[in-house]
Amino acid sequence: MLKIGMVHSTIRGDEKLLMNAARKRTIELIPIDIRKQILNPETGYRTVPCETWQERFDVILERCVSTTLGMHAVSFFEGQNVPVVNTSRVAQLCADKFTTSLKLRNNNVPTIPFAMAFSEDEAAEAAEQLGGYPVVLKPATGSWGRLLAKINDRDALEAVIEQKFVLGTPPHKAFYIQKYIEKPGRDIRVTTIGDKAICAIYREATHWITNTARGAKAKPCKINEALEKLSLAASHAVGGGVLGIDIVETRAGYVENEINHTTEFKNVQRVTEVDVAGKILEYCLEVANGNH
Amino acid sequence: MADFTGSCPICDARINLPQDTEESEIINCTECNNSIVVESISENQVTLEEAPEIEEDWGE
Repeated sequence: MLKIGMVHSTIRGDEKLLMNAARKRTIELIPIDIRKQILNPETGYRTVPCETWQERFDVILERCVSTTLGMHAVSFFEGQNVPVVNTSRVAQLCADKFTTSLKLRNNNVPTIPFAMAFSEDEAAEAAEQLGGYPVVLKPATGSWGRLLAKINDRDALEAVIEQKFVLGTPPHKAFYIQKYIEKPGRDIRVTTIGDKAICAIYREATHWITNTARGAKAKPCKINEALEKLSLAASHAVGGGVLGIDIVETRAGYVENEINHTTEFKNVQRVTEVDVAGKILEYCLEVANGNH
Repeated sequence: MADFTGSCPICDARINLPQDTEESEIINCTECNNSIVVESISENQVTLEEAPEIEEDWGE
């Protein structure tokens, strides 16, 4: 029986769905709390001394809520020649929104116009290049709708940037700026696995931030041809795998916003009734068998 | 009947947890609603600790 190691740094509802799906399918899914492991390439899997990671697991599914821990874990396991879902390359491309945007643009995937600047004057000029205010200023790395700022004018830009310079760590001094797109009270999250758009939800909110972590409500969304095409193009641009692709509806059509490489899916599974957890496990087994 | 019992480390309430409770799972105390983590499970007892703070790099 193929063995999937599920690396985590906490068990969320999503990880529980994976564990339940594994039990139903008689798939051997072993949770690995990465916080209790030592990633020493000279030693093996800690629970069983002298057993190498490669002997113990056929594939690793990275499900760390901490992006930092997850990225290091993925790099380590790849170095141990254990296939990982998602790969370090995919994780690196998706963890940084600026890098994601560059990759999408270079692959002609429609995405929200963007720029990066490192000082106030340059950020202000970038805002003008993007069509003027409002713009959205966000950290290049981050999730759950945290630290997003809708900048309505130069005064607001000045205030936010000063705060970041004074209070922020170095990553906060890279200002990822997007053109503000007026959403129709919602955005779309498409879950893609491999070369398939599995299911999608609308994330409805009266606020301009439409993360469910910030209170947006999930509703089923039918995947039409255009949505499927865009989500799969975005997935392909960053290397594929198990992804949560955020898409915005505009007058000119769908545009891609950002891509999540350790995508949460419990809300998606609940409202669409698609067995996302089961499909993730099936994909992992395909990877273990060398089919991706 | 609950399958596991434990005490909330914050309010000391006795908490009943279902059979599919997992180690490292974060739950909310049914009494004080604070986030707590299942530190360990043995037989029908769980050890609960205060959940770690959400870090800046947490997410998807």
